[in-house]
Amino acid sequence: MTFVVTDNCIKCKYMDCVEVCPVDCFYEGENMLVIHPDECIDCGVCEPECPAEAISADTEPGLENWIKLNAEYASVWPNITIKRKQPADAKTFDGVADKLKQYFLSKPGQGD
Amino acid sequence: MILAADKLDHVSERGIRQLVDVFYVKVRADPELAPIFARAIPGDWQPHLTKMYAFWSSVMLTAGRYKGNPVARHVVIPGVKPELFERWLALFDATCGELFDDATSEAFRIKAERIAESLKLALFYRPGRPWPPEPTP
Repeated sequence: MTFVVTDNCIKCKYMDCVEVCPVDCFYEGENMLVIHPDECIDCGVCEPECPAEAISADTEPGLENWIKLNAEYASVWPNITIKRKQPADAKTFDGVADKLKQYFLSKPGQGD
Repeated sequence: MILAADKLDHVSERGIRQLVDVFYVKVRADPELAPIFARAIPGDWQPHLTKMYAFWSSVMLTAGRYKGNPVARHVVIPGVKPELFERWLALFDATCGELFDDATSEAFRIKAERIAESLKLALFYRPGRPWPPEPTP
C-alpha cells in the first residue's frame, strides 16, 4: 500500500509534499508529480500537506488508473526533493475537474 | 516505571529521542530481534539512533529531516522474516505505552503499523503468492 498523486495535482503542482516526504519518493513531470510505489512507505505525511488535496491512499476506491499512472511515470520522470515555486496559475486550476484528459503532459519535469 | 500523570501527552522532539533510546535498548535485549540488528549495525549505535530521531521526527512532526530509502536498506539485511515485524511492533508499542499517554501512543502505533506493513509488502510480497505470508519455519 502506498499513496498516489491524483488529478488535482495537474497544473497545480504545489510541491509541498516533496519537502516533508522522508523517503524522497516523488518524481516530477512537466505539470504534475507522482509517487514511486516501491519507495513510498505509506507514512501518510504528504497527504495533509498537499494544498490541492491531490494525494490519496491507494486503498481508496476508483484509483486504479492513478495507481498505474504513478507507477509508470515514477520510473521515467526525475526525482524531486526540493520544492520550487508553484506555477503562477496554480490557483486558477485548483479544483478544475478531469484535468487528466485536457492538460496532462507526459514530458518529464526538471527534477532537483 | 513512569507514573500515568508523568506520561508525555503530545509528540515532541524530546519524546521521540526518549522513545528511540528506550526502544532500541529493548531491541538489543530481545532474543529474536537482537541478532538481526547486531548484524546490520555491528559497531557504534549512535549514528543509527540519530537517524531514527530524524526519521520519527519527519514522520510525526513532518520535520523533513530524515531523507533515505528504508525499503532499499531493509532488503539487504539477512535474516529478516515477516513475523519479526510483529515482534518489532510489539516492542515499539510497549515502549510507547511506557512513555506516552494513550492518544499519543496510538498516534505512533498507527504510523508504525502502516510503515511496517508497507516494508513487509516491499520485502516479501510477490505476485501469485499468498498474502499475508505464512510464517516461515
